[in-house]
Amino acid sequence: MDAVDLTLRNNTYTLLVRLGRGPTAAELATETGMAETAVQAGWKRLHEQHAIVLGSDDEIRMANPFSAVPTSHRVEAAGRSWYANCAWDAFGVCAALDADGHIETTCPDCGEQLVVEVRDGRPDDESLVFHSLVDAGHWWDDIVFT
Amino acid sequence: MNLFRSEEHVRRWLDGRPPGATIPVTTLAALAEAWWSDRLSPDWRPRTAAESQAILDGLGLTGASWRLPGT
Repeated sequence: MDAVDLTLRNNTYTLLVRLGRGPTAAELATETGMAETAVQAGWKRLHEQHAIVLGSDDEIRMANPFSAVPTSHRVEAAGRSWYANCAWDAFGVCAALDADGHIETTCPDCGEQLVVEVRDGRPDDESLVFHSLVDAGHWWDDIVFT
Repeated sequence: MNLFRSEEHVRRWLDGRPPGATIPVTTLAALAEAWWSDRLSPDWRPRTAAESQAILDGLGLTGASWRLPGT
């Protein structure tokens, strides 16, 4: 990843955290002084490098662990509400923000809501388990499904 | 990649499909800390596949389910 893309990537994450949602290419352009087309081209390169994930509209879909679209993995942390891409990322939001958090998700089997308080990186309910259906070798074959 | 109430819930949800990897939520929390804690750092750099694999290996996440491409 070259310096230009690294700076764009860092600015994207910084603005996402400041806004509490995925920034648009237009917002990044305003923030950085880049042309909107340059932001979009840079985002495509970052997408190809798995540094972010764009949606079909070429806007931010994922800046892992954050999701720019609503999901069933919701996190309250650092005074805001966030969406995560999966259960792993829900804990990742707390880790990235270096904050305690409150995770709400749903057991796919029974549909029961699962609530986890994260304090100093540890969950308060240690009885839960995590399942990854897709092997690591294929996570990026279809990252949205993964 | 989901949380489940228990391993019994995972088995029922799989409904005969081949299982992936199931780990305790405590291991997941440790994995998330190791994997994501640098994500907002201005010094962040992309990890190599070997570096990512080392995080998994260090938490005892071994075997085919946890083997990254190119490692």
